[in-house]
Amino acid sequence: MDLYDQMMNLDRRWVYLVIGLVVTITAILPFKVPLYITPEVRSVYNFIESLEPDDVLMIGVDYAPEVMAELHPMSYAITRQCFSRDIKLLLCCLHQNGPGMVEQVIAQVSKEYDKVNGEDYVYLGYKPYPGITILAMGQNFRIPFPEDYYGTTLDSLPMMKKLTNFDDIKAIINISGGSGTEYWINYANGRYNAKLAIGVTGVMTSDYYPFLQSGQIFGLIGGMKGAAEYEDLAEKGGYISREKDQLWAFKSMPIQTTTHIVVILFIVLGNVGYFMSKRKKYGKYEHP
Amino acid sequence: MSPICLFLFLWFDFNRINVLIILVIFFLFVLYFINQAKKGKSLFVRRIAGLDAIEEAVGRATEMGKPILYISGIEDMDNLQTVASMIILGNVAQMTATYDVPLLVPICRPFVVPVAEEAVKQGYSKAGRPDAYDKNNIRYISDEQFAYTAGVNGIMLRDRPAANLMFGSFFAESLIMAETGFSTGAIQVAGTANIHQLPFFVVACDYTVIGEELFATSAYLSKEPKLLGSLKGSDLAKFLIMIILILGALLETFGITKFSSWFFVR
Amino acid sequence: MNTHDIIFNGIAAFLSISIYTFLYKDNPLYKFAEHLVVGVSAGYFAVILYYNGFIPKLIEPLRQGKFEYIIPAILGIMIWTRFSRKWSWISRYSIAFYIGSGAGIAIPLYLQNYVIRQLHATMIPVGFSTWQLFSNILIVVGVLSALFYFYFSKEHTGAFGGVAKLGIWTLMIGFGAGFGLTVMGRVSLLSERVVFLRDYLAELINYIF
Repeated sequence: MDLYDQMMNLDRRWVYLVIGLVVTITAILPFKVPLYITPEVRSVYNFIESLEPDDVLMIGVDYAPEVMAELHPMSYAITRQCFSRDIKLLLCCLHQNGPGMVEQVIAQVSKEYDKVNGEDYVYLGYKPYPGITILAMGQNFRIPFPEDYYGTTLDSLPMMKKLTNFDDIKAIINISGGSGTEYWINYANGRYNAKLAIGVTGVMTSDYYPFLQSGQIFGLIGGMKGAAEYEDLAEKGGYISREKDQLWAFKSMPIQTTTHIVVILFIVLGNVGYFMSKRKKYGKYEHP
Repeated sequence: MSPICLFLFLWFDFNRINVLIILVIFFLFVLYFINQAKKGKSLFVRRIAGLDAIEEAVGRATEMGKPILYISGIEDMDNLQTVASMIILGNVAQMTATYDVPLLVPICRPFVVPVAEEAVKQGYSKAGRPDAYDKNNIRYISDEQFAYTAGVNGIMLRDRPAANLMFGSFFAESLIMAETGFSTGAIQVAGTANIHQLPFFVVACDYTVIGEELFATSAYLSKEPKLLGSLKGSDLAKFLIMIILILGALLETFGITKFSSWFFVR
Repeated sequence: MNTHDIIFNGIAAFLSISIYTFLYKDNPLYKFAEHLVVGVSAGYFAVILYYNGFIPKLIEPLRQGKFEYIIPAILGIMIWTRFSRKWSWISRYSIAFYIGSGAGIAIPLYLQNYVIRQLHATMIPVGFSTWQLFSNILIVVGVLSALFYFYFSKEHTGAFGGVAKLGIWTLMIGFGAGFGLTVMGRVSLLSERVVFLRDYLAELINYIF
């Protein structure tokens, strides 16, 4: 087996080992990575910047712990920005493993900013069947959620006195790791014309650029890179602090950079091996 | 206001009349072609290149004297991709029966097992080999995604099938199965309409049936009027969309926006 | 970090490493961790569904005297007859209702959002005078050629075949972009775990010494 065949047939465990080492070494010896802020992330940030105190923003948190590495930083950054600007938050969860994710964010961030449940934010909780829940919320939040997550009747919460449905909120930001985003686009934006921005995992990002182009969503935060961009903007705006270790996605960018370089090198290696071994097998001028 | 006018005002959204018109046109296309297919009219559907790949895979398995592994995805029978997969399975079963190649079918959902058994049995009967049908080759593994994947990987590593055919709805397990199959040296043909998994199948398999081609393959093989009619109807709709797109882009280029604005949904 | 955090984070670290041992080869540690996550998530989902779906959506309304909720309850019970060979035909009524109502809600909205609004957004001016107009050409040509590829009523020969080939190239470029984003997504998950393990190790050393 010559060199090119060896390149083609490299045992995948060597690839795992190299990537594992690269990630570990970069985690121990990080460095700064310059970040370019994309327009689709900036539009979400600028929209929240344009809101007035006491405006209500809805955040649909539809992800489970397995994707929190990419989506939790978005949730924290957006929530901190909103609470800093005294924007009220209405949160809900349409993923069965997500209620704890929302509670973790809201419990921690509300304490940082002395925000009161029922006055500055309301957490509606989780309901199954996202499509039906969103359709019902479009008529009245109380139909799917007669009580909030903590069992308090919505009508008894001061913040909910002026809120009936999507018409009373400025926008919806859906942070999702699964098919929940499709329901928000189809029902919240498609049926009720609610203003919608989304934060999704890296795997899903490419699927939603057509909706950004068509104007169905006004912003798209894609994957950990998108989360890092948002954290960078929020840090420059003074909403999150590097000293308090609140830039999680941003800190992971060196790891992303080095790992991607290694992956690219392996792809090049594999392709060189493929073409050279094919050339050797079939001759310089002959092709099968 | 008269009751009819009041009814229309309260229940009919005139801002979306363009959606209604286009919906009715699409429905008419599909119904027309289903009707034509039921009347026995020959509806041309081009041969999908993936079918040649399947035949090559079966041929290779025959030469090597090793079994074929058929994976129908991880969704239940209410998923259209699983339905399409069962139609393809019947056709594959007919081929394997003809060449006397064992066909292994691990299943993820209990309700898919009787459908798969029926599809394989019919395939063997059509090939004139009902005696060769072995019910034990169609096995329920597990409902859990990665438990099923572990079971399928185990079959690949132990039985070393010559060909892996993966048609249906797949999620994160797609690359795990395709990689394991690749490592055993099997020829692999895959098809799914889950866009996220297509890149993984494209890199790890010898041939990939992309998206709608999966449904076209099942329509081509089954000649079922509803499937053929739906396919032809959607083809006509695509043709109409292409015309509208070209017209709209050209008119926009010359500053005429009235045409494209009709398609704007308020 | 207190003792409680050290223990529970230690369990999390152990399970993370157990899953990663699969990269070398399948082993009992990996099997244990995998079965644990499958079992816990299934059990967690069952409890969540009971307290957030079953109780507030069925039991509470019935307690409040809203007996019309018995109708969907009966439809739900009818679906369970799927498990009986003899009575599985009964489930078809519930499934028909579910699919019918779902299709009625979803089909017009999907057509609106996935076809008509996208069609409108793709009817854009094209040209060579500015970068935006040129990139609009790429969008329109890409969409058209991909539609040509998925046209099944004509053989891919001649000029038609050429455009279809451009369509498959467009699709492959799209798949490449999706693949790259997926790599980023997977690396994100790996990096978060490595950072967690690094921080846990540092805390553990600090705690012990």
